[in-house]
Amino acid sequence: MNLAPVLRLEGVSKSFGPVNVLRQVTLDVHPGEVLVLLGENGAGKSTLIKMIAGIHHPDAGRILLNGEPADLSSVHMAESAGIATIHQELNIVGSLSVAENVLLGRLPNRCGVLDRKRMRRAACEAVARIGLDVDVDTPADSLGVAQQQLVEIARALTLDARILILDEPTAALTGSEIDDLFTIMDELRRRGTAMIFISHHLEEVARIGDRVAVLRDGDLIDIVPASTPEDELVRLMVGRAIEDHYPRRREYEGAPDLLLEVNGLCRGARVRGVSLEVRAGEVVGVAGLVGAGRTELLRCIAGADRYDAGTVTLRDGPVGKGNVGQAVMRGIGLVPEDRKNQGLVLGASVVENVGYATLRSTSRAGLVDRKGQRARASEVTKRLSVRMRDIDQPVRDLSGGNQQKCVFGRWALAGSRVLLLDEPTRGVDVGARVEIYEFINEITRAGGGVLMVSSDLPEVLGMSDRVLVMNNGRIVGELAAEEATQDSVMSLAVRDLDVSTL
Amino acid sequence: MTTATPAGRRLAAQTGRFVSANGALVGLVVLCLALFIATPHFFTAENLVNVGVQASTIAVLAFGQTFVIVAAGIDLSVGSVAALASMAAAWMYADAGLPGLLALLAGLLTGLVVGLVSGFATSYGKLPAFIATLAMLSVARGLTLVISDGRPISTPDAISFLGSDIPIAGGVTLPVPILVLIVAGLVCSFVLNRTVIGRSMYAVGGNIESARLAGLPVKRVLVTVFALSGLYAGLAGLVLAGRLSSAQPQAASGYELDAIAAVVIGGASLSGGVGKASGTLVGALILAVIRNGLNILNVSSFWQQVVIGLVIAAAVGIDVLRRKDTRH
Amino acid sequence: MKKRLHIVALSLAAAMVLTVSACGRDAGSSDASSGTAGQKKVTLALSTLNNPFFVDVRDGALAEAEAKGLSLTVLDAQNDATTQSNQIQTDVSAGTAGIIINPVDSDAAAAAIKPALDKKIPVVAVDRAVTGATVTSFIASDNVAGGKQAADALAKAIGEKGKIIQLQGTAGTSASRDRGQGFTDGMKAYPNIQIVATQTAGFDRTQGLDVTTNLLQANPDVVGIFAENDEMALGAIQALGDKAGKTVFVVGFDGSADGLKAITAGTLTATIAQQPKELGKTAVDAMADALAGNTPAATQPVPVQTVTKDNVADFS
Repeated sequence: MNLAPVLRLEGVSKSFGPVNVLRQVTLDVHPGEVLVLLGENGAGKSTLIKMIAGIHHPDAGRILLNGEPADLSSVHMAESAGIATIHQELNIVGSLSVAENVLLGRLPNRCGVLDRKRMRRAACEAVARIGLDVDVDTPADSLGVAQQQLVEIARALTLDARILILDEPTAALTGSEIDDLFTIMDELRRRGTAMIFISHHLEEVARIGDRVAVLRDGDLIDIVPASTPEDELVRLMVGRAIEDHYPRRREYEGAPDLLLEVNGLCRGARVRGVSLEVRAGEVVGVAGLVGAGRTELLRCIAGADRYDAGTVTLRDGPVGKGNVGQAVMRGIGLVPEDRKNQGLVLGASVVENVGYATLRSTSRAGLVDRKGQRARASEVTKRLSVRMRDIDQPVRDLSGGNQQKCVFGRWALAGSRVLLLDEPTRGVDVGARVEIYEFINEITRAGGGVLMVSSDLPEVLGMSDRVLVMNNGRIVGELAAEEATQDSVMSLAVRDLDVSTL
Repeated sequence: MTTATPAGRRLAAQTGRFVSANGALVGLVVLCLALFIATPHFFTAENLVNVGVQASTIAVLAFGQTFVIVAAGIDLSVGSVAALASMAAAWMYADAGLPGLLALLAGLLTGLVVGLVSGFATSYGKLPAFIATLAMLSVARGLTLVISDGRPISTPDAISFLGSDIPIAGGVTLPVPILVLIVAGLVCSFVLNRTVIGRSMYAVGGNIESARLAGLPVKRVLVTVFALSGLYAGLAGLVLAGRLSSAQPQAASGYELDAIAAVVIGGASLSGGVGKASGTLVGALILAVIRNGLNILNVSSFWQQVVIGLVIAAAVGIDVLRRKDTRH
Repeated sequence: MKKRLHIVALSLAAAMVLTVSACGRDAGSSDASSGTAGQKKVTLALSTLNNPFFVDVRDGALAEAEAKGLSLTVLDAQNDATTQSNQIQTDVSAGTAGIIINPVDSDAAAAAIKPALDKKIPVVAVDRAVTGATVTSFIASDNVAGGKQAADALAKAIGEKGKIIQLQGTAGTSASRDRGQGFTDGMKAYPNIQIVATQTAGFDRTQGLDVTTNLLQANPDVVGIFAENDEMALGAIQALGDKAGKTVFVVGFDGSADGLKAITAGTLTATIAQQPKELGKTAVDAMADALAGNTPAATQPVPVQTVTKDNVADFS
């Protein structure tokens, strides 16, 4: 790099109370480069970018912009210095229109009166630049997560940022949306924008990155070229080598009893006559694009939503519509897509969160079996190697992977026979991800069945025994593990896409 | 501080942790100390008993409110429900000729039923709790006036007992309102901590969707919290009527705000999932101590309202700052 | 979202209908719409019915209206000045012949009755004055004089010496102001009496109990208590227990039913009887007078009377 760095961190440290989150980090970001920040959850990536974005302030060290010490004491200061951030948690105001979201805080106006025409024009331009095809007047909450993410990126683009921070922007995107994003990033790179990119997907590192800064436990371990082999990156991140990324093993030796049978399930336009079965000891993957109806399908089966037609049958008979309580008692466990808003009660402790499904079943005369619940929670969190201070720690303070293990732990305690997993490893780092896969193996070894929805194709292919492909509310194909490839799945997933009914 | 022994430092650290975990309790102690210094009439056994008796109505209302607030709801109707329950009981005795004890039970039942109605309206009827209970505030007060025709009704002995003193050994007496306060608080704490429905309240208040997807009976929990709140309001109303030996049509008006303040001062969050019976008790005591102290000091009635408002704001403000400090 | 709003609206509407029909039943006997044809419709706009005093005003007015052949519509503003203004507006539009107003707020009432005055509809104010507008007639008890009478009654009971407590009504109300002023003025005649504490108890019996209990802690040697209404006086009596009427003497104000009972029982030494039914009756009389084309007196004081054990029988 012969250009002078646009951003330089010098010996930056940060601690929260007694915890050192970052120690003595020194690193440069140059114009027109994509610097990938790699590290497990809790390694300090988020804190690092939050300091650049003006949310946190370094305890020691300094941040230089174009060689000058910069005052980044507030988000506003950082933004006016040309630093835009797309955070992991979307910053979308759901009730406002797409256009208003894109231009939030900078709405064009005449003497305080909103200039709708100019707003629409500017917003249209911005969303067109990233190839997002939505009406800018629609409320943002009518869009899916993926599209909301793109709205956020469009907003950052309208800021003409010199430094763009993208915190796991691809986590919620599908393959083609990721391609679109990378195209935009390439264009920004040509224009000389410096970008800091965080992702858990190693294959994206080589595709989009120039250099990779690896963090582990608050230390900057190394800065390596993006062409570094994945195994080496993982070794740097985790501090040990991971042999097998998808350690799927079929070890169940009993009869392949039918555990779950879904027949002709319909819900609005999103689920249109889905039939499927899950047998003891198998993992059934469900692939498809975002919006294909996969989440809705799982929610109907779990009783979270009511459905219009069809039946859901377990070994001991049909399950009532829209009755989560009954589904849970009969052995269904849903690991929802959005663990923070649907999976966990963040303010409650680990022991509480792990114990919700067994609260009633283990009670006597309406009284909680407190001793038993604690003992079982200790046991299951140990088995899942949840990293925490103790079981009374609020689940909010845990990293994403460990939070997800708590959701799994709940169903392990409940003895659920059928697990419905929706994006089970989204936002989960490599180490914890493998531990979750091992837990899936354990479930199927004991004769349970798993129905797994994932947008992470390698995961679907690596962990499933059968792959169902969903497209526009229907199951459009079933592939055995051996014959399923990225290409065969994707061609089914995008085929005959009936756009008009979306 | 540099010369402190390790044991001293440990003690200081422990004290710091205690203060930050029990902000309201520390506030109560500071308040009592200040009044102890300011006037010799505050810290007497008799006056402290008075504070307990005066705190009882708000405390019982606030215990009921704690269930609702833990489950992320709010019950604005408790003051009116207290009045309705006491008036219903007095009317059953005076006009319908029910025996005193049955009339008392009828009063409690009235509170429970009204709570159930609010509960069904919020859970199955999907009305926001604020609206449903605001409507109930008006309906219950109106029914109180309809029953009483706007006039006080004398209460039977069974209810007056709730406001009386019972003698214990050696001429010492124990006011029944304090007894009711203690029992109501213990029951509240027990339900919240030990029962399935109590733990479910925290889950529902913390995140209703997560609780539902974990298989918890969310609607039943919501109905239960409002039913309990109504029952507690009924009890509070009967204690209030017992103390006066008379059910008043305008009794307990505006008490819902005191009850909510007590719960929040006690460390609960209006966004749900957090709250303890012990904290609520401290909150109710703080309000009672302020009122008692300001009376004893003969502070002008205009300033009393200012002081009470400031103390509520300070208590909650300190709590918010403390929470912010412990999270990053 | 839309659906939910719908449900909210429906439920609110249902609640209102319930409330309205309950109110309707309450005042049904006198409701103009169901009254006999030919009767003149008159509106009685009360600040609240949440207080026995105003219930008595209503009863006195209803009885007199029947005697005078008027049809009386009773409105309850629930102590909300805006509600009262709206209610009056509605009734004026509906063609009421006259308005008897008991203002929630003396200042706000002027604007509320202006449309009526513009239409030359007679307006009679009762118990509380309307400031900033000229009403046809103003009927009220003399609260200042009553305060003085209370001072005399209490002084007599305690032998014109000792420490006393004053319990004030809701801060800022004219009743509290006038009674308090009359009382302190009256007390100037007794130099050996010392007012050791003046605290509000919001015209409320429970607060009267709590505040008195607290004040007795700081002032265990008081011999007299003046409460600006009977409700607070009854609360104070509750706080005094056996001492009430024996070593500590309580004087109230209003002459409410419970207050008179307490006088008979000897716990309440005296009360200054307003005559709420008389207030209601006089107001209706003034209105009938005005509707008949006469000009009633601009102010008609309804006397207050000191009630003690000696004359309580005349009031019950």
